[in-house]
Amino acid sequence: MAIETATKTLTMVQAVREAMLEEMRLDDTVCILGEDVGPRGGVFLCTEGLYAEFGPDRVIDTPLSEAGILGGALGMAMNGLRPIAEIQFIDFLFPGYDQLYSEIAKIRYRSAGMFKAPMVIRGPYGGGVRGGVYHSQSPEELFAHIPGLKVVVPSNPYDAKGLLISAIRDEDPVVFLEPKRIYRGVKNEVPEGAYTVPIGKAKVVREGSDATLISYGAMLHVALEAADRLAAEGKNVEVIDLRSLVPYDGETILTSVKKTGHAVVVVEAPKLGSFANEISAYIAEKAIEYLEGPIIRVASIDTSVPYNLEKYYLPDADRIVKATKKTLEF
Amino acid sequence: MAAPFKPFTDSPIAYVDNDGNPVAKMKSAFSDDDLKRLYRLMVLCRAIDDRGYIMVRQGRAGFLAQTAGQEASQIGSAFTLEKKDWVFTTHRELGAALTKGMTPGQLLAHVLGKDLDPSKGRNMPSHYGDGELNIVTPSSVVGNKTPAAVGVAMAATIRKSGQVAMCYMGDGATSEGDTLAAFNFAGVFNAPAVFALQNNQYAISIDVKHQTKSRTFAEKASAFGFDGYLVDGNDVIACAEVSKFAIDKARSGGGPTLIEFLTYRYGPHSSADDDSRYRKKEEIELWRNTRDPIMRMRKYLTKQGLLDDASEAKMQEEIKHVVEQGLTEAEASPLPAPETVFDHAYATLLPHQIDEKIEIFGHA
Ligand SMILES: Cc1ncc(C[n+]2csc(CCOP(=O)(O)OP(=O)(O)O)c2C)c(N)n1
Repeated sequence: MAIETATKTLTMVQAVREAMLEEMRLDDTVCILGEDVGPRGGVFLCTEGLYAEFGPDRVIDTPLSEAGILGGALGMAMNGLRPIAEIQFIDFLFPGYDQLYSEIAKIRYRSAGMFKAPMVIRGPYGGGVRGGVYHSQSPEELFAHIPGLKVVVPSNPYDAKGLLISAIRDEDPVVFLEPKRIYRGVKNEVPEGAYTVPIGKAKVVREGSDATLISYGAMLHVALEAADRLAAEGKNVEVIDLRSLVPYDGETILTSVKKTGHAVVVVEAPKLGSFANEISAYIAEKAIEYLEGPIIRVASIDTSVPYNLEKYYLPDADRIVKATKKTLEF
Repeated sequence: MAAPFKPFTDSPIAYVDNDGNPVAKMKSAFSDDDLKRLYRLMVLCRAIDDRGYIMVRQGRAGFLAQTAGQEASQIGSAFTLEKKDWVFTTHRELGAALTKGMTPGQLLAHVLGKDLDPSKGRNMPSHYGDGELNIVTPSSVVGNKTPAAVGVAMAATIRKSGQVAMCYMGDGATSEGDTLAAFNFAGVFNAPAVFALQNNQYAISIDVKHQTKSRTFAEKASAFGFDGYLVDGNDVIACAEVSKFAIDKARSGGGPTLIEFLTYRYGPHSSADDDSRYRKKEEIELWRNTRDPIMRMRKYLTKQGLLDDASEAKMQEEIKHVVEQGLTEAEASPLPAPETVFDHAYATLLPHQIDEKIEIFGHA
């Protein structure tokens, strides 16, 4: 259909807000619950104005309990609603982790499909905002490892809106992680109205033939910065935005790696046990004969996130450039 | 133990009214010197808090959760703790940390993330801790420190160390399951713990009516089999008296106590908050102008003949000097060395961390 859609330049926060707004207008079973999501509009303003439009039955300010929010959302999902549970910072999901791990993720399986949890668990995550130990973490692998949950991480406003709408419409629980470091810094053109970006499809955001950089979320932008610097030295790298961790798009990864023969996986979480391991192992299993150098993981160091020394903790373009050269020069 | 006040009252226990007059029959056992020390600590706390706020505005600190308005409850509750006692802070306990013995230099170094901060700038500002003083460096996770505070108290009983654990929390923290687990343990094990609950009436934008259907927070203790006291949290004498009673009771084997301090924070939740979205300016002004804990104590001391303009001016001068000196120490302190980023993840570096350290710094 050749209908021209109007677009607006939005930030990630605005795109997330629009996705919820559109879906709430289209489907009155969609509701939001969380801390300060009502008149305050969320501490990052992702729900600004929604309370005024939809009222306290659909934009629910809760007491300070993540177990209550997550378990409550599960009950609402089982009983005909499509709740979006906002976790104020993903670091604070853990008082409710049991609800996610034991209940939300497993209800469909343990009941042989009699009960389901069509719900979204969303919130800001990640570092680079001087947030210290508890406002900076990237625990995505702790969600990705749980069978029954989907995990999505947008890197820009367009994807954020489309992916969040897909997540809200999904029949399974989706953990939707918003990289707060680029909440306001990264903007792009976002169509008005509802549209979807499919969960499980990666995107080649920069084409190249020498090596493949695979990343997601805020680190995608650091990977792109590294790609620019490598290009200045004549090295042409391809950059893939994974967008979904569960399910992940193995095909796009393999197509690229078979072409370039080199893979560098960039994540913001501490390296040991990170999602980079899953991607690296997948490439090794499926395409080792195409590789011309080691698969290299670039990740944060294996400590908690320090407030004052964060720049030594987080991956930066330098580390990515170095890693890429290492595999290229193998 | 006979106390001049009762648990589970409907109105807050007070010794001094807003105009600085003694409340009938409530006679403090604290010496004149103690009362003056309480007052001085509150003024000093406010001055350090203001300093921290200036640092945020200057862009030298990334965050601050201000204490202003809550000095009486924090200082009164910590006032009679012994050095060996334990303190569990949350994200706002400048007054408790100061009273337990952290210096202005350390407190301001913490705000700047400097080496002089006993926690070495690992945390965001407003997360005070000091191992020397058994002040446990807090996480930012609301409500999750309470069980460990009870564990510390249980260990004190088992080891017969005579220590008490003072555990701070906000009204919001009472909604977390960990808090309720801790209350239950404290009751069952008769732990020498005091829960200092500062009800500043908001958890960010959520007011107490949306936090609990209980009439008071203090009454929650009754479900766990111990006493809860509702105290005027802006009356530093009442705060110190009830806390002393609870601390003494815990130390002598009487078990846990919950104290609800009814108070108010003047600033937004933190430097990242915009409180105009959820509360009225008039409400803030009402508390600041008519119920301020420092103003109330000044009036009281003046009426009791313990303070006059000259001694007040002298104290203000002294505090200005102490804060300036603390600031100088904090500024002179270096940032921790980059390589220390790996320290204390474990007791010793693990092999994979050694690899990472070499990758980043070129040496192990
Ligand atoms: C488990 C958890 N959930 C959410 C947050 C975000 N948060 C930080 S402070 C706060 C409100 C805390 O209220 P209260 O316990 O009353 O203490 P106050 O800040 O008023 O001193 C919230 C929701 C958090 N830090 N931890």
